[in-house]
Amino acid sequence: MAQPYLKKDDDHDDEADYSPFLGIEKGAVLQEARVFNDPQLDPRRCSQVITKLLYLLNQGETFTKVEATEVFFAVTKLFQSRDLGLRRMVYVIIKELSPSADEVIIVTSSLMKDMTSKTDMYRANAIRVLCRITDGTLLTQIERYLKQAIVDKNPVVASAALVSGIHLLQTNPEIVKRWSNEVQEAVQSRAALVQFHALALLHQIRQNDRLAVNKLVSSLTRGSVRSPLAQCLLIRYTSQVIRESASNTQTGDRPFYDFLEGCLRHKAEMVIFEAARAITELNGVTNRELTPAITVLQLFLSSTKPVLRFAAVRTLNKVAMTHPIAVTNCNIDMESLISDQNRSIATLAITTLLKTGNESSVDRLMKQITTFMSDIADEFKIVVIEAIRSLCLKFPLKHRSLMNFLSNILREEGGFEYKKAIVDSIVILIRDIPEAKESGLLHLCEFIEDCEFTYLSTQILHFLGIEGPKTSDPSKYIRYIYNRVHLENATVRAGAVSTLAKFGAMVDSLKPRIFVLLRRCLFDTDDEVRDRATLYLNTLGTDGAVVETGEDVKEFLFGSLDIPLVNLERSLKNYEPSEESFDINSVPKEVKIQPLAEKKAPGKKPTGLGGPPPGPPSTIDAYEKLLSSIPEFTNFGKLFKSSAPVELTEAETEYAVSVVKHIFDGHVVFQYNCTNTIPEQLLENVTVIVDASEAEEFAEVASKPLRSLPYDSPGQTFVAFEKPEGVPAVGKFSNMLRFIVKEVDPSTGEAEDDGVEDEYQLEELEVVAADYMLKVGVSNFRNAWESMGPDCERVDEYGLGPRENLAEAVNAVINLLGMQPCEGTEVVPSNSRSHTCLLSGVYIGNVKVLVRLQFGIDGPKDVAMKLAVRSEDEAVSDVIHEIVASG
Amino acid sequence: MILAVLFANSEGNILVERFNGVPAEERLHWRSFLVKLGADNLKGVKNEELLVASHKSVYIVYTVLGDVSVYVVGKDEYDELALAEVIFVITSAVKDVCGKLPTERLFLDKYGRICLTLDEIIWKIFFSSGLELMELLDGHCDILALIGYHCDLRSV
Repeated sequence: MAQPYLKKDDDHDDEADYSPFLGIEKGAVLQEARVFNDPQLDPRRCSQVITKLLYLLNQGETFTKVEATEVFFAVTKLFQSRDLGLRRMVYVIIKELSPSADEVIIVTSSLMKDMTSKTDMYRANAIRVLCRITDGTLLTQIERYLKQAIVDKNPVVASAALVSGIHLLQTNPEIVKRWSNEVQEAVQSRAALVQFHALALLHQIRQNDRLAVNKLVSSLTRGSVRSPLAQCLLIRYTSQVIRESASNTQTGDRPFYDFLEGCLRHKAEMVIFEAARAITELNGVTNRELTPAITVLQLFLSSTKPVLRFAAVRTLNKVAMTHPIAVTNCNIDMESLISDQNRSIATLAITTLLKTGNESSVDRLMKQITTFMSDIADEFKIVVIEAIRSLCLKFPLKHRSLMNFLSNILREEGGFEYKKAIVDSIVILIRDIPEAKESGLLHLCEFIEDCEFTYLSTQILHFLGIEGPKTSDPSKYIRYIYNRVHLENATVRAGAVSTLAKFGAMVDSLKPRIFVLLRRCLFDTDDEVRDRATLYLNTLGTDGAVVETGEDVKEFLFGSLDIPLVNLERSLKNYEPSEESFDINSVPKEVKIQPLAEKKAPGKKPTGLGGPPPGPPSTIDAYEKLLSSIPEFTNFGKLFKSSAPVELTEAETEYAVSVVKHIFDGHVVFQYNCTNTIPEQLLENVTVIVDASEAEEFAEVASKPLRSLPYDSPGQTFVAFEKPEGVPAVGKFSNMLRFIVKEVDPSTGEAEDDGVEDEYQLEELEVVAADYMLKVGVSNFRNAWESMGPDCERVDEYGLGPRENLAEAVNAVINLLGMQPCEGTEVVPSNSRSHTCLLSGVYIGNVKVLVRLQFGIDGPKDVAMKLAVRSEDEAVSDVIHEIVASG
Repeated sequence: MILAVLFANSEGNILVERFNGVPAEERLHWRSFLVKLGADNLKGVKNEELLVASHKSVYIVYTVLGDVSVYVVGKDEYDELALAEVIFVITSAVKDVCGKLPTERLFLDKYGRICLTLDEIIWKIFFSSGLELMELLDGHCDILALIGYHCDLRSV
């Protein structure tokens, strides 16, 4: 709730502190609203009460349904008053109360009367109110007036109608689309605001018709658009047309570029910016095209207005990611912005400079940043840290000064997110720059000596356990680790014990001493710490002699738990204590693909510590339960994978059918999810007749019909096929929905006794190689790749033929294989000529597979690919090659 | 879209607030974030001088007008430039209603009129007697009409 406005101090000057809303209470105001019912209306008093209601609503107060209804009915009485001011307030409060459909009817006739009134102000406002509260049926009644209003000679009325059209397009598109002619006329209006709104609406009406948008843009870019805002819209639409037309950029003639460039000389700043941004965001923009845009942006860097400086530096920052050289001209102006009062601007300037700087300027820049860092907030510091990390990866020779900088700021005050960003950066630098390893590890060791964040301490200890033993002198880290056993909380102590054990396993010469330390941990006060110490002492065995540790022990200590933690957690929760012990192999390995709506988190950076982000809860459990409840499928064994649903019907057809492919070792089950969208029909005995003539290796073994499919309540029917065990058989299946249809009486909801048999053609369905692959990520690809070893490695090269760009080729191969991209390598920077993509997965039969794809593109857009596969089984490595060769 | 429009007094108490598409549990965070932003930066700033900030992928343009500070928060197409236009219209309308830079008292006295005017800005310009105001708001007024719908601003 908002803080209500309170009187500060009664002793203050009355005049200054008096508030008309002092001590306002909802209950009292609702009582006051009874004046609306007076036979003799007092317009002034009524306006005051409405103001109070508005004040309450603007403070975050809400009305219950009953309260809102009461106020609404009272307000409708005010239409009797002819007072202009009061009528305006009535319009506002009606919109504010957003009455329900059955209440709206009370005011529609009054509003329709106002809509045809001679007073322009009534017309415009009534249109806006009516369009806000109305539904489709009423809209058809008033459509005629709205069309007239769009071409009204009064620009206010026209704008009100147009803006209402934009609003209504969301709810009643088919009606608004009929206004196309009027809207087109309004685009030619002399009034700037009408033109702006008309253009916005016209584009929305036509947005799915590429040709029409193209025509619209072509005609308007030739003419003159008056309103700067309309001009901005036009620039946006133009960029869209340029993006979609995908013309040949190699010859240099990009359609509409001249228009965009011309807009850079417009008198309105917003148009200049819009054009400059549009140019910088063009696909495959050349330096020649960029130059004029960069020049105008550079001018804005020294503007007196913070908004313009911010806009300019933000745009240049984006350009610097893809074209750092083009921005270097602005570096001097940018450097002066480091001292800008506005911290957002200063941070953007610094990160841009970090991207555009060359090797020789790094040291100077770092000096400037050091003073800057002390007086900005954590969230800005994190941005700077990330920029420094990429700078260091770009200039590995500079790792010493950059690593020093990171370790210095690590010692300063800061919150968790900030410290985590620094630690992540150091970890990434250690992984990618071998020379930085030893100094980086020592910095981390020093940090955990005085680290207040348990999470970071345990993560660093884990990392030390993996990297520390591989250094030239592992013994020097032991002191830091063992100190944790004395000084920290139980969680960190347990982490330290595990790390000690890893050193013991990897460094044979240290083993006896590690044993001494681990034995001391047996007397810890915490169960977990003692348990771990006991476990490791037994696992490492041999009573601390200097002998080599067995491979299985190393696998136990270092092997990754290749099961998504959420799945493990759920399985453990579902496990009921019984004679049978928990079987970790029963935990599903599939990471559920995130639905689109959840994918909003922009630009996930590779995380330094820890594994890939845990997937959301999987639906595979539900599928498994469902299938095991059907007797016909119980002997199929363990479910290997269930695909995402594939639509077999177009949107908005009579019957909606999607299919989920369930893969077993020797069987495939198709689960058809059917929905009947016709209220007047009841479907019975619903089956899908599958023709598998284009899928030779599959033989139908069972079909489970759906007895009844009433309107709008989805149901499933299944068809099962047998296939050769362990073979990734592929094929095409055509589907026909067969059912008995019965008419339903809409008034009683009862179906007739007799039905008619009918069929409905569905789209084809394919089982592809990717269906036999589970998307299972690895936390550290390099480690996983090395530990897999080259025994079952298969390498070959392929030509992928002409492709639009590398990203398209990379996506095609990922989709073909159905594997999980690792470490963000599925993202291809625009304009890159080569790319490496890392994939991991589990192939049917539970065989781990890792794939390294190296792509290159040459002049005529021919893409070549080198495919290296490592797996636990050479036959599987060969299969992956076969899939690519035949794809 | 426009995520929030907020008016606060010099002490950080909210006078008018409108959120759009911001979950209720995040509003408190935004409110205190904006008020703190103003407290940190608006001291000594000239009237109507626009300040800008970005928080993650969201933009904020804010200013001071007499005793009242005004904040507009947006994302996507409502970037700092579009928000600058929006806030310009809002401050112009408030000044017009109050006749001068508003004190807190004046703002509350004219509360109803301010709600009304902001709701009807397109009407106002056309019917305003002075050509001056028309020129002032020409090209800007329309965006407010749009936000009135897009962002449920209704009667800010």
